[in-house]
Amino acid sequence: MRRLLFIASVMLLVPAYPAGAATDGVQVSVTDLIQDAAVIQGNVVVQGELIGDYGFRRDGSMWTQLNGDSYVYKPVLDGGPLTGGNVGVAVRIPEAIARTLDKPGGYRVRGPLVEIVGEWKYHDPHRGGESYIDVLTLEVLEPGRGLVEHPDYWILASGLILIAAAAALRRGSGRANR
Amino acid sequence: MLVRPTAEDFRVVGSNLGRLSILVGAAGAIPLLWAVIGREWAPASSFCLMIGVFLVLGSLARRIRVQRHRLDWSHGMVVVALAWLLVPILGAIPLALSGHYASYLDALFDAMSGLTTTGLTLVQDLDHLAPSLNFWRHLLHFLGGQGIIIAALSIFAGGGAVTLYLGEARDERILPSVRSTARFIWAAALVHLVAGVAVLTLVAWLVLGFGFYRSLFHGLMVFFAAFDTGGFSAQSTNLGYYHSMIFEFGASILMVAGAMSFGLHYTLWKKRYSTAMLNLETRTILITFGGTLAATILGLAATGQFTHSLGLARYSFFQVLSAHTGTGFGTVSVPELAGWSGLAFGGMTIAMALGGMGSSTAGGVKSLRIGITVRTIIAQIKQVLVPEGALVGRSYFQNAKTRLTPELSQAAMSVSLLYVAMYLLGAAVALAYGYGLREALFEAISAGANVGLSVGVTDPAMPALLKITYIAQMWLGRLEFVACFALFGFIWSTWRGK
Repeated sequence: MRRLLFIASVMLLVPAYPAGAATDGVQVSVTDLIQDAAVIQGNVVVQGELIGDYGFRRDGSMWTQLNGDSYVYKPVLDGGPLTGGNVGVAVRIPEAIARTLDKPGGYRVRGPLVEIVGEWKYHDPHRGGESYIDVLTLEVLEPGRGLVEHPDYWILASGLILIAAAAALRRGSGRANR
Repeated sequence: MLVRPTAEDFRVVGSNLGRLSILVGAAGAIPLLWAVIGREWAPASSFCLMIGVFLVLGSLARRIRVQRHRLDWSHGMVVVALAWLLVPILGAIPLALSGHYASYLDALFDAMSGLTTTGLTLVQDLDHLAPSLNFWRHLLHFLGGQGIIIAALSIFAGGGAVTLYLGEARDERILPSVRSTARFIWAAALVHLVAGVAVLTLVAWLVLGFGFYRSLFHGLMVFFAAFDTGGFSAQSTNLGYYHSMIFEFGASILMVAGAMSFGLHYTLWKKRYSTAMLNLETRTILITFGGTLAATILGLAATGQFTHSLGLARYSFFQVLSAHTGTGFGTVSVPELAGWSGLAFGGMTIAMALGGMGSSTAGGVKSLRIGITVRTIIAQIKQVLVPEGALVGRSYFQNAKTRLTPELSQAAMSVSLLYVAMYLLGAAVALAYGYGLREALFEAISAGANVGLSVGVTDPAMPALLKITYIAQMWLGRLEFVACFALFGFIWSTWRGK
């Protein structure tokens, strides 16, 4: 019993990623990378949606953002519930891998859902202190897909009626002034 | 004795408010056009609705017959205070209809944050938001930063234009008439717009390797947010998204330009460089920026987060510049910024509270007031030290040698004190909800000084009263209290006046 209590108390006291401890090859979430940025070290395995832009640079790398929030699975446009802000980190992907990817996520696009293995670089001195994942391998779990917009024609009709009403009011006041 | 406003007073206020409503409704055509070109039909519908509401209200108000066309001081102030409430309330329509906000209050929070160039946000799933809606959020920065009143004055300045101009917390008339001053401000903004967007677009396209149209989109968004010291961003990771020192440098230049008073822009344009450097305002901001930057560097160095001096210098410089200019761009994540402690936290918080220059797009106490307050204190200390009856010279240089009158000192110190009181009251509300003192103070200063940096308090899940508190702080801070107090006085005298 004492041993169990001891183990339980140690588990409560020790954070998920103790400072300086190697987390090599451990599956982490994007939230973990943001919350425990300084603690996580070495190679990590992360899943998420590639989103924003693909920035192909002259050094043979491509920079983009990897999101790991609930919108990855169901964006707002797709009827996904509101669960707060996005959670994303930067990833640097070798150009040869990046050229094969579907277009990144954005409005009306759910970007490719990927699992990456890469080195977590926290305030990398070689990159002027930037934090990012330097991708070694990438596996597409689910290709990108288009999202359908559902315009509300009542809103459009209301707007057009109001604009017409404003024009009529202006014309009326113009006549009255004459 | 309080005098109750007459029906004519209401008519004058309503008529002028209507004029502004039509102007902002017309500005709404720009994001509508963007949405139509991009075939974003849902946002396009919501922009139509917003424009319709603005135009109908404006047209109705313009039908009011007024006998006096000239605005007096109180009318002007009331119009400005109400305009800065009306625009966010109606400007929130497309945001609320997007589905990216939990409530209308959240959409209003963002619209007020946009217009007041604050940059705090409650948007959810920003990375999937329609570009036209993102553009509208950033256009609100531009409308607020350059001043919706300034826009109105440029187009149809009538009698009483000075009070409208002053009501928007612009106390510096650069050229002889308000109308020519307003036109200079817009000309300066347009020159920066063309040059800033061109440079940022080229960097995004040629250096970051984005597609051309996306580069133009990012260039435009970052320009609005940087030059108008707003701080919204097109992506959730804010300016950290770009991972480029050159891009950060370009944004920094625009942030500095935005935090400079338009008077200083004019002085530099006239090539009066020595005058610019002698100005009390310039010297004060250089000293406070240097001091807060040194504190932040020392504080961050002590944490050991950066193992290389370049990273330490880059992140400290950018974050302090972002805080001091009131921009609120972030290159570090919210949890990481929240972890900055000691001197780094102090440096950032003080930089936010002080703010940029007067008559600029920046918020905060403003450097001229800080300079005058310090000069007043020094003069008073000297007065105590010199023999009785001896006089201590009280003057400062701001474009010319200016006498430091007791009225001027009192005005500067009163407004500074009001800012401090607002920061503390905002922090008290967050404290009452159980947030820590550090977080509560940081966020209240960020909202009141129209900065936009966050350590995590601003969140869609935060209490509604706290959201309302920050909305009020953004409004009060942007208008520097006077116009807001005039509105309170107008309401009070309507109720209690005779």
